[in-house]
Amino acid sequence: MRVQSTDVVVVGGGAAGCYAALSLHRHGVKSVILCKGLVGKSGASIFAGNLVLAGRALGNTEEHARNTAEFLIKYHNQFLIDQRWARACSQWIENVYYPELEEAGLYLRRDDKGQVVTSPGKIRSVAANLQGNSGVPFMDLRRKQVIKAGIPRLEESAVTALLRRLDGSVCGVFALDIVSGEYQIVLARAVILATGYSDRLHARSTGTREMSGDGIAMAWRAGATLVNLEMQWWHTNDIANPPAWQRMQVYPNPMLGSEKSARMVNSVGEEFFNQQEDDPLAYGPYTVQLKALAKQVHAGKARYDGGYYAGFDHCDAREVETFTSYGKTFRQLGLRFPEQLVEAAVTAHYRQGGIDVDTKTMRSSVPGLYVAGGLAGHSNGLIGLATYDGKVVAEGVMEDLPQLALGVLREADVESEARRLESLLRARRDGVPVSQVKVAIRQMMWDKVGVEKDAASLQSALADIEAIRLDLLPRMSVVRAEKSVNYEWLDAIDAVNMVDTCQLIILSSLERKESRGPFMRRDFPMQDNSRWLAANLMIRTDNGYRFELRPYDLPFFQPDFAVKDNLEVAW
Amino acid sequence: MVSDVLTPGEARQLGRLERHDTLEARNRRLAEGDAITMRVRRSDTARLAEFRIPYRKWMRVLDALNWVADNQAPDLAYRWFCGSKMCGTCAVRMNGREVLACWEAVEPDMTIEPLRNLPIIRDLMVDRGPFERKVEQLEPWLERSEAYSGFPEPLSHKQMKNASKALDCIGCMCCYSACPVIGLGDLTDFAGPAPLVQLGQTALDPRNDATKVAWSLALTGIFNCVSCYKCEEVCPASIPIVSQVIEPLKAKTAALVPDMAKHSNALRAVVAVRGYVDPSALVLKVHGLKALLNLRRALRLLFRGKINLLRTFLRRKTPASAAGARYLGREDVP
Repeated sequence: MRVQSTDVVVVGGGAAGCYAALSLHRHGVKSVILCKGLVGKSGASIFAGNLVLAGRALGNTEEHARNTAEFLIKYHNQFLIDQRWARACSQWIENVYYPELEEAGLYLRRDDKGQVVTSPGKIRSVAANLQGNSGVPFMDLRRKQVIKAGIPRLEESAVTALLRRLDGSVCGVFALDIVSGEYQIVLARAVILATGYSDRLHARSTGTREMSGDGIAMAWRAGATLVNLEMQWWHTNDIANPPAWQRMQVYPNPMLGSEKSARMVNSVGEEFFNQQEDDPLAYGPYTVQLKALAKQVHAGKARYDGGYYAGFDHCDAREVETFTSYGKTFRQLGLRFPEQLVEAAVTAHYRQGGIDVDTKTMRSSVPGLYVAGGLAGHSNGLIGLATYDGKVVAEGVMEDLPQLALGVLREADVESEARRLESLLRARRDGVPVSQVKVAIRQMMWDKVGVEKDAASLQSALADIEAIRLDLLPRMSVVRAEKSVNYEWLDAIDAVNMVDTCQLIILSSLERKESRGPFMRRDFPMQDNSRWLAANLMIRTDNGYRFELRPYDLPFFQPDFAVKDNLEVAW
Repeated sequence: MVSDVLTPGEARQLGRLERHDTLEARNRRLAEGDAITMRVRRSDTARLAEFRIPYRKWMRVLDALNWVADNQAPDLAYRWFCGSKMCGTCAVRMNGREVLACWEAVEPDMTIEPLRNLPIIRDLMVDRGPFERKVEQLEPWLERSEAYSGFPEPLSHKQMKNASKALDCIGCMCCYSACPVIGLGDLTDFAGPAPLVQLGQTALDPRNDATKVAWSLALTGIFNCVSCYKCEEVCPASIPIVSQVIEPLKAKTAALVPDMAKHSNALRAVVAVRGYVDPSALVLKVHGLKALLNLRRALRLLFRGKINLLRTFLRRKTPASAAGARYLGREDVP
């Protein structure tokens, strides 16, 4: 067991975590980054396709700026967002974010004359080197900035518990070094959780290998209030086969340097979605697409797990491939590009909800615990937003640091966590393979907590998750009981977090008695702004939990109806 | 079919085309439910572990590994995160060739082994450390000689043409495993293709400070590269590693750190002026009088007729050699 102390522990090596650590470093505050994968290589941030131009950046007109804000508030968040935070974020993106990235060396794609290439239209975006692949050089730059700054990182290290002081405040983490099998304890004055937007909780999920809802599960155990966990985003046009490519998207948003974007076709060959024609304001039209697909599914012309197609057969290859990476998937499958379409399916994508934070400081409801990026349930899915969170959380932590004492090691807590992990490292004669447990959880979530759900399916899901908790978890068995490089053991540790997180998601889903954007309930098909334009807070109590509603302020944009069929609402 | 005229992209794939080992072939040879045989090199036993896997449409090597981990060998150690050719952590060798497991179609019969030239942690999982440390040593980040002028700064894609190719690198280390010079171990100080591509991202960027670039290049041992194109052949990101990264970096090194390019420059000069490789001229040009320290070897070569000193020293000026000298832009011909 190795014990070390620092000022701030950052859990997560994506856009938010890296930027938080770099901001702290610039102000002379020491931090250690713990990452379950590799800093800048695992998690959701590398999936960023392009960078949306906010505010008046790069020749954006006042109208562009307004459109972008409207798009973020309506289409990305269905009004479940702090609009003042959104405004501050967009100003920061315009004035700080692009210059900071470019000064550090990020190459925003130019043409031969030196103009930065943008997508035309109502909302504009740029790409780091190549559209569809922007997250890779973006996060590679962050990784190198972290290395250059000499910020210590513990990679392939899974944080399994938050350590707390006697008063309940968070003061460090307990982690498992996956490669060596050693336990790592990092004590700190404050902990920033930045474990990301996406988890692998459904049979089809954009969450990567290592993502299993750890952030939500650990924060809940520490007593943090959760928010809007039911608000789950879906990709509608991810590749149906092979399974590994369930995260690979036929990007639906406008292409750099072209007036066109991908189109979607149902099982009988009818086009049912084309962003440029259907909703030019829906820059990332994920919810609009999902609703269009739901109508196809209801008409029997598509399934959520396939039977419809996406692609660029209305474009020419040069037009698509000059500035994007979109052709690569088609070619790698041996399809003729762009003439052939590829079968698509729905994939659980980002979760808008997460841990409730004060958006001015990113404080959670638990002292010492701060949350940034996708895990902080206050906005949805853009790498710029996650980065801004990294800035805000660093400032929030620095403001509080003088009041936060050094972390203290409580032997009993550490021993009990070690015992808990070791109880999961057992070979049992009549045990259940860990992989089966994970598969069972994901299949159940897909079947009962998928795109469309109702009280009956959710209650049944709740019963299933309880059965998995009581029957399968205690019988999980590994074949090799050694600590080093034991992914099966890690899977068992993950499975416990998955069960907890799924249960919280199901309970939150039962609580929101309306449909809103991508959250579709068969038993409550109406979007109800009179009652549910509010944060669905899940608060931990001594004997369980309770729900509370907190209405959102609507200073800049307001919905123009009170109650309406969700499928008839554009966003 | 290999056509008579190869486009630049095809030229890199020539070996595969000749073996009819094309993507199309691999994607179409199998039908849903067919059994594939996968043998895996594991750390605990000398024998290859063999698995039979039901084929699923468009199955990738990673899908096969995941199937085995879910159904037959839950303790199989292999690394992957994104499954989408972005994180670059799942590279293995399939039937002796480096592939990205998430990107490559399965073969009906395949042997999966860990990457070469890196320590094996367990089964298919290699230690990325040696590669990461080399990248860090090269400090592949931008240092500006002039202050940043504000967003957007003047820059064109033409200026970034080579650097932008290097920016497609996902650090999967396929090329590092395929490189025969890296395979020589400590015999050379060659940094290897992957670290050079990582360096190329900023060293080929016109915004970078030349002194900084020179400092980095001095650590690369870049002239040990034999331009065998193995790295290009295996690169899953299709980066023209030799032609658009290593060759431009060599040219930069020759300009910024001329000492490192002594042998290459001498070879070029000898060939330009003489029209053939004259070994003694080359050795004298590179080593000068120090060549005399190897007198015994020189005598042996002389005795066996491998070198011809008369030809080296009593060379006549011809129109061709004059043209060569003009090409080199100088008069002091070797």
